[in-house]
Amino acid sequence: MVSLDFAAVLEQWPLLVQGIGATIWLVALAATLGGFLGIACAWARTWGPKPLAWLAAGYVESIRNTPFIVQLFVIFFGLPSAGVRLSPEWASALAMVINLGAYAGEIVRAGVEATPRGQVEAGLSLALTPGQVFRRVVVPPALARVWPAMVSQIVIVMLGSAVCGQISARELSYFANLIQSRNFRAFEAYLVATAGYLVLAIALRRLLLWVGPRFLFGTVWRG
Amino acid sequence: MNRRTLAKLGFVLAALMPLAGHAQTALEDVLARKQIVIAIPTDFPPYGFVGTDLKPQGLDIDMAHLIGARLGVAVELLPVTSANRIAYLQTRKAQLVISTLGKNAEREKVIDFTAAYSPFFQAVFAARSLPVKAFSDLAGKTVGVTRGAMEDIELARVAPPSVDIRRFEDNNVTVAAFVAGQVQAIATGASVAATVMQRNPQLNAEYKLLLKDSPNFIGVAKGEDRLRVRVNEIIAAARAAGELDRLSQRWLGRPAGDLPQ
Amino acid sequence: MVEFTLWDILRNLLLAARWTVALSLIAFVAGGALGLLLVLARTLPAGAVGRWAGRCVALHVEVFQGTPLLMQLFLAYFGLALLGLEVSAWLAAALALTLHASAFLAEIWRGCIEAVPRGQWDAAASLALTRSEQLRRVIAPQALRIAIAPTVGFLVQVIKGTALASVIGFIELAKAGTMITNATFRPFAVYACVAAIYFAMCYPVSAFSRRLERRLNGAR
Repeated sequence: MVSLDFAAVLEQWPLLVQGIGATIWLVALAATLGGFLGIACAWARTWGPKPLAWLAAGYVESIRNTPFIVQLFVIFFGLPSAGVRLSPEWASALAMVINLGAYAGEIVRAGVEATPRGQVEAGLSLALTPGQVFRRVVVPPALARVWPAMVSQIVIVMLGSAVCGQISARELSYFANLIQSRNFRAFEAYLVATAGYLVLAIALRRLLLWVGPRFLFGTVWRG
Repeated sequence: MNRRTLAKLGFVLAALMPLAGHAQTALEDVLARKQIVIAIPTDFPPYGFVGTDLKPQGLDIDMAHLIGARLGVAVELLPVTSANRIAYLQTRKAQLVISTLGKNAEREKVIDFTAAYSPFFQAVFAARSLPVKAFSDLAGKTVGVTRGAMEDIELARVAPPSVDIRRFEDNNVTVAAFVAGQVQAIATGASVAATVMQRNPQLNAEYKLLLKDSPNFIGVAKGEDRLRVRVNEIIAAARAAGELDRLSQRWLGRPAGDLPQ
Repeated sequence: MVEFTLWDILRNLLLAARWTVALSLIAFVAGGALGLLLVLARTLPAGAVGRWAGRCVALHVEVFQGTPLLMQLFLAYFGLALLGLEVSAWLAAALALTLHASAFLAEIWRGCIEAVPRGQWDAAASLALTRSEQLRRVIAPQALRIAIAPTVGFLVQVIKGTALASVIGFIELAKAGTMITNATFRPFAVYACVAAIYFAMCYPVSAFSRRLERRLNGAR
């Protein structure tokens, strides 16, 4: 008779809490840096010089068309042969930033391309430099337009971070695996971790949808 | 998602539970079906690894075929990793686990073991330039190990707390991490390390510390006594006929030696 | 020990890629069928049944979109077995990916149906069409046009998702990559090949999806 024993998993709660903390750290870093990378990419593809636009397009396409786990393996196992050696946690963070940056680049670009021409011209006529116009006039409303898509993508990247345990980054799924390899309660350990991810996903979505309009691009542009 | 829906989920799970549970009939099932599913490694040369055709080969695979032949049934090989080997038995996905499985008290609580069939010892390996004379010298160093393997449990027991133990999902990845220089030392089976060092002379790695001498046993699901007794008979006969020594000689380059029953 | 040439590496990876393709197609087709049922359940008229169906679908979507595919795979593989069901790595991977895809496709298609202006329902209703006729004759054709591009685009996500089936021992492209890495100890070359093969599979699909999208936008 197989019976479920969640207590055997839950008594390891310090590990689970540590894992959740690491997952939050990873996603916070990825969302911040990946967001900036995405905006830079969107700029390169819409306003940037041709070679830069091609470069950005190549980056976006190669990331969007390969699995995250393969990107992670290339960074962790491949980069050392180029002399770059990152700890599993930093390799994971880098992979997540690069991954999110590509998707965010596409999302933000859609928002930027929907900016009415007149707003740009109005900005330039106020003697703002093109850089200032992009940063102050184009990006905030563009972000506001695409924010729901952006939030979804950040959540997807957060869930994708479960794979980072495969290169021994100590995040939530890593500890779920560790616990099950110690007490042989595989199903219970994975179920608890899965529930943890679900709560994280819901909380992260709520938080970002709340934070975005209030702190990132101002209330003026809502709706 | 609110509390009520969670409660509902829990209810559904609880309702499904009576379906679980197994009669202890593995041997009869195997003989009736004329087929046995055996979990083997593909990440652990020379016990189990793949050739250019991606077909598993190695000592554990030969052992699996030997047992299948003596039972008179077909063998289906199921590649597993160190971390999930036990789960395959618990969930009856495999009838036997022949996958460099060492015996310890924790594992004996959840599965049963037959007699040992091959020798195995784990050790710590690192570059010659890394001064490691005792486990205390590992302090502050990163050591790669395969999660859930004997060496993982052993290392966690003997290493000082400041050792940065990096655990990977399967031995392939652990080895890749060591070769890529992502960890300073590796704790693994001696035979695996021998292959790695031979393939990667640039690592300039050497044997450092003995972790544990732990022969390999075959795992059977808890309480499957008839299957376990039958496999033990096969092992005893193979040992008497010198077959275990031949297997060991072929893959490890030395006889099986004295194995615990 | 065996020696792998670059050709051996590539040949084995390409052979393993067949399973990636097969698993992707199964998950995409079965996930699409299930997703369609879910979407239909959501468009049921508001009543006791409709409300319940809507809630169940919402829960399904929330759970499968809100948890990692990796965990879903682990749970399908080891969880179903605990319930006394025998599942192979094949079946578990196909099941988890199907459920995963159904949740995403149902969400995509719901968005497409909602993108059809409300007035279209009203207009169809005023023509005395029944609820199912409204959906079939008026809404679905318009929603379908909008849905094609994102649906094809999602196929790319499914293909990439199959890479995770490697962790439960299903031998497809990514798993073959790890196995060959161990036999060759050339991780960079192997993973670069793996990435290139995924790209070769996914890029045409994404490019096709984009072309469909452009054509649709152009026609509007």
